[in-house]
Amino acid sequence: MIRVVVIDDHPALRAGLHTVLEAEPGIVFAGESNGEEENVWPVLNRSRPDVVLLDYHLPRGDGLQLCYRIKQQVPAPKVVIFSAYASPTLALPATLAHADGLLDKGVAARELFNALRTINRGERLLPPVSHTVLEESLAKLDPDARALVGMLLDGASEVEIAQTLRVEPREVRHTVQRILSALRLDVPAARPA
Amino acid sequence: MIDVPGRLRRLGATYESRWLALYVAARLAATAFAAVLLAWERGSGPQELLLVYGLISTGLLAWLPALRRMPAAWAVDIGVLVVCILLSGDWRSPFYLLWLSTLALPATTLPLRSAAWLAAAAPLMFLLVAFVGGPQPGIQVRSAENLAIHLALPFLLVASLAYAANALRRLSKERVERERLAIEGERRRIAWELHDSAKQRIHAAHLLVSSLQGQVPGRLERTIGRAVVELESAASDMDTSLAELRSPLEGRPLADALRERAAELAPGGRPAITVHGTAPQLEPLVVAHLYRIGSEAITNALRHADATAIDVAIENGGGRLRLRVTDDGRGLPDERRSGATGLFAMESRAATIGALLHVGAGPDGRGTVIELEVPINENGGSQ
Repeated sequence: MIRVVVIDDHPALRAGLHTVLEAEPGIVFAGESNGEEENVWPVLNRSRPDVVLLDYHLPRGDGLQLCYRIKQQVPAPKVVIFSAYASPTLALPATLAHADGLLDKGVAARELFNALRTINRGERLLPPVSHTVLEESLAKLDPDARALVGMLLDGASEVEIAQTLRVEPREVRHTVQRILSALRLDVPAARPA
Repeated sequence: MIDVPGRLRRLGATYESRWLALYVAARLAATAFAAVLLAWERGSGPQELLLVYGLISTGLLAWLPALRRMPAAWAVDIGVLVVCILLSGDWRSPFYLLWLSTLALPATTLPLRSAAWLAAAAPLMFLLVAFVGGPQPGIQVRSAENLAIHLALPFLLVASLAYAANALRRLSKERVERERLAIEGERRRIAWELHDSAKQRIHAAHLLVSSLQGQVPGRLERTIGRAVVELESAASDMDTSLAELRSPLEGRPLADALRERAAELAPGGRPAITVHGTAPQLEPLVVAHLYRIGSEAITNALRHADATAIDVAIENGGGRLRLRVTDDGRGLPDERRSGATGLFAMESRAATIGALLHVGAGPDGRGTVIELEVPINENGGSQ
């Protein structure tokens, strides 16, 4: 049984996912949230999901920041970034946010189920970070942050990095959050003012 | 789409033509005034000939818009009238009014700062004319007062015209900016609605319908498959619309627009997408469909074919425009999953503009070639 929580601000998509996930044997729809701070954490604490299906474009803030904070929990569920605007540039911030998968919202139900099963087994489903995308993204960051990105991509944990740099792990985490907001993709269609 | 720049241009043209009519009328009136005064004084000699200048110069300025913007033409115009006044032997000349009217063009055309200099220079110029041309002013009080009026008028005329012209220019600039912002805001709103609402619903419907695949009796499987394809096409149509709303075509050349879309779809140039050739000026509808079919073909090559290089060629000749998208990817599946590769959408778009769509294997049997051929007439419409 794979327990899945859906975090998405659009009710139609949550309802659709609810129906589809319920109908699939071996997958349980364990709860949903619209991404607002006050109901994300209660839902996660109550339903203890195996996998969180997380929208990239949340009304407030950024799905990746939320992903990063969910992954700080012990034990942390698997998180799949579910984006309507899948772009190769998303691979780097998703990796840094410790996402376990990156999935386009345009996938068919079968692919979605397969992805959820794969990720639940402990595999990661992230597109490789291409060299050019990495270069472009690094150009947006300051030198300290660039070094941190390098270490994180090498697979070093934040605690290890903190020990190497002789700083508090809290500071490293803070820098990662700063990097995530710097790499935040412009929402293709910003909410009108 | 509202053609705002066009509307403003027409509005501007109305103002322009009214102003021109007023200007021509003022010049003709000044010329007529000079003629009446000369007839009154029964003046003779070159002065009547100079009257002809008033008519000819006004005609030329009315017919040739380029002349009206030419500083050299202003200088000649002002200079000729100064000579006229000097020749008439009296600064209280019948040509004074026509001289005043020659200042109107530079006053309204020059930027405010230069026009202010002109407003200061014009009375000085006339003061010089008064002293050189005689009779010496200032001997009697009445003569001095008359001169003061002659000097104050050019200053007032140039200063007020320049101020008004500057205010009008600022106003129309602000209006263009305001309309641009309004359109941009509207575009953002539509894009947001498409992305935030409609597209999410399509994704939900796609998930729901696709979850039925393999769960229903065989005869329904085809219907479900077709519905899934339609929903996939709708989502990708919406992506193209969003891209267009974010950076509208608006008269951009087709090749540039496709190049930009390619850079968006494959950031970092991987796979390499090249766009070459240029399209002639085409009707907006035709360009829009060509752009969409081109974007669609690129998206398909990226999504389904795992291509490493995509080549987009635009060729124009023999009354036909050809748009060819070649990729080196997996090629078409044996049993052409029509529509799964978005072909249906492309075919119906092609039909809308009367174009032919050929889909086939690449030159050496690898990859896919999608070629669109659209007949075009001279004015850029499809026939």
